[in-house]
Amino acid sequence: MMKLKMKKGLSVTLAAALISVFCLTGCGGNKDAGSSDAGESGGAKEMVLFTWEGMFPQEVLDSFEEETGIELVYSNFDTDETMLEKLAQAKGGDYDLVIADDYIIESAVGEGLAQKLDQSKIENFKNINPLYQGQFYDENDEYTVPYGAGIPLIVYDPEAVDFEIKGYEDLWNEALKDSIALTANYRVINGITLLSMGKSMNEEDVSVIEEAGEKLKALAPNVRMIQDDNTQNALLNGEASVAFLYTSQVNTALAENPDLKVVYPEEGLGFGIMAGFIPSKAPNSEAAHQFLDYILQPEVGAKCFDFMGYYSTNKEADALLENQDLAVPDSVTEGEIVQNVSEEANAAYNKNWTEFKAACD
Amino acid sequence: MKKKKDLWSFTVLPLYLFTLVFVVGPLIYMVALSFATNREGYGVDWHLTLENYRRIADPVYLDTFSQSLRLAFTSTLSIMLIGYPFGYFMAKLSSKWKSRVMMFLMLPFWINSLIRLYGWIVILQTKGVLNDILLRLGIIEDPLKMLYSYPSVLLGMIYTLLPFMILSVYSSAEKLDWSLVEAARDLGAGAVQAFFTVTLKMTLPGLLSGMILTFIPSMGLFFIADILGGNKIVLVGSLIQDQMTRGSNWPFAAALAVSLTVLTTLIIYLYRRITHTSELEGLY
Repeated sequence: MMKLKMKKGLSVTLAAALISVFCLTGCGGNKDAGSSDAGESGGAKEMVLFTWEGMFPQEVLDSFEEETGIELVYSNFDTDETMLEKLAQAKGGDYDLVIADDYIIESAVGEGLAQKLDQSKIENFKNINPLYQGQFYDENDEYTVPYGAGIPLIVYDPEAVDFEIKGYEDLWNEALKDSIALTANYRVINGITLLSMGKSMNEEDVSVIEEAGEKLKALAPNVRMIQDDNTQNALLNGEASVAFLYTSQVNTALAENPDLKVVYPEEGLGFGIMAGFIPSKAPNSEAAHQFLDYILQPEVGAKCFDFMGYYSTNKEADALLENQDLAVPDSVTEGEIVQNVSEEANAAYNKNWTEFKAACD
Repeated sequence: MKKKKDLWSFTVLPLYLFTLVFVVGPLIYMVALSFATNREGYGVDWHLTLENYRRIADPVYLDTFSQSLRLAFTSTLSIMLIGYPFGYFMAKLSSKWKSRVMMFLMLPFWINSLIRLYGWIVILQTKGVLNDILLRLGIIEDPLKMLYSYPSVLLGMIYTLLPFMILSVYSSAEKLDWSLVEAARDLGAGAVQAFFTVTLKMTLPGLLSGMILTFIPSMGLFFIADILGGNKIVLVGSLIQDQMTRGSNWPFAAALAVSLTVLTTLIIYLYRRITHTSELEGLY
């Protein structure tokens, strides 16, 4: 539900499709090689990584190949749903490591498409920031290694706002009339309204959701614009003085204007976590374990997070990050992830959203 | 003779097939989909229901229809008020100037309409060109918040659709036999009376087809409301898009689309009944 990846250009999509076609044919070959090698010794030559395009700096991939002699095959998908479909078609085979979003991992694990990790093979497992562990998709941390997180935050221009913004509740302040730019995910915006009421982002009780709808409508006079792509531009070009932004947008905004203030809302945070898991019938799970261990090294992890621009999920990597904004401050102790809700609750969220947008006019 | 006719029907066969596969087919699918049930998570269950239509009756969604109609009517009316005189006087220009004006009208079409709309953002934004000029001229003291408002959406609509009105009025006015106007004047009609009794009546087909050409698209041009209105004006079009993507409720989106189609057809039907037009300039 919470989109971690921003939309990519058509060309990238096409390139990704082409690459995945090549990779799939490559995978077929690999499967045969893997079974004939009976890869217990860990000497198998190829590992197929299945994730979005642009998730790793090339130097990290190159040095992994150099150090281990394993040949990496980087296979792309464009959306979580495509990934799940392909993985289901391959019956949990073909791919050795998948990195995807939280909610889809729940489905993958639920359908038996993931295997439990052998933690004895992942020495650096201890480096994971516990903040991102024990989540709904893997409560006992048996299947996944988190790899980067998105946290939508409030960013504002202290010169244009004459009070200190501490949380979501402050967005309702009358002083912010016609000056807030919002991202357009209906579940996230409903979610922060619920958080401001002390409720869960995944509230199922329709009467509570309706209550949140009423409160959300009261926010309308303060809303300058609602947009999902490049929302930070409204803040940078002076259209808005406050914005509620996705992680990549927060980083772009700060790079342009370092004087902007970032707020970790006191009522609680929304998380989106990307994590790696090994498919149930991965041809070369040995190599996948090796790779997970490799990227969990603090130096390697820091390079990856700096490259991706998502929050570091590796506690030991935090200090090594070039962009220190990617380390979550100690004050953050938990976050909630948007999950699928019942059809009834979803309809109520949709209705809130339409009512809210209409009230903004 | 008969053979010739058979050959003719052969040549239009691909067109029929095309229409059948790409127009009628999707339309049937859309109508069928509007009676299906949305599955939790993803996908559709072919369990027939009227629930999707019942849901449209909810005031929240009915409001988006009235909002769309309001915007369509306001834009059509504004476009008519600007476009009619424009097309009328354009037809009176010398042929050299006619082609020049035509060139200026067509020139913007060489650029993608989305890019042209983003151009309006540069003009209208708080730190934009227009505010800058007004500030320098001392007309205003603080920059105006023009972008992301109803007037800016209306401006975008007028800007995008105006050429369609101008061109249909122009083609009508160009064919006008000016000696009829002269005759009216000779027979004692004043300039105004001659305009209303002769010119307006003779150019009516152009005006009416211009109105249809602007009204129908303005019911569906939701991206203008998204770009220049900051997503704050909810039109049926944007609601359909929302339901297709984020809301992931295709049956409801289909029901909305069917209702919009029916509504638009109905309006055009009424419109033609009231105005008694059977021929529309350039349309039939």
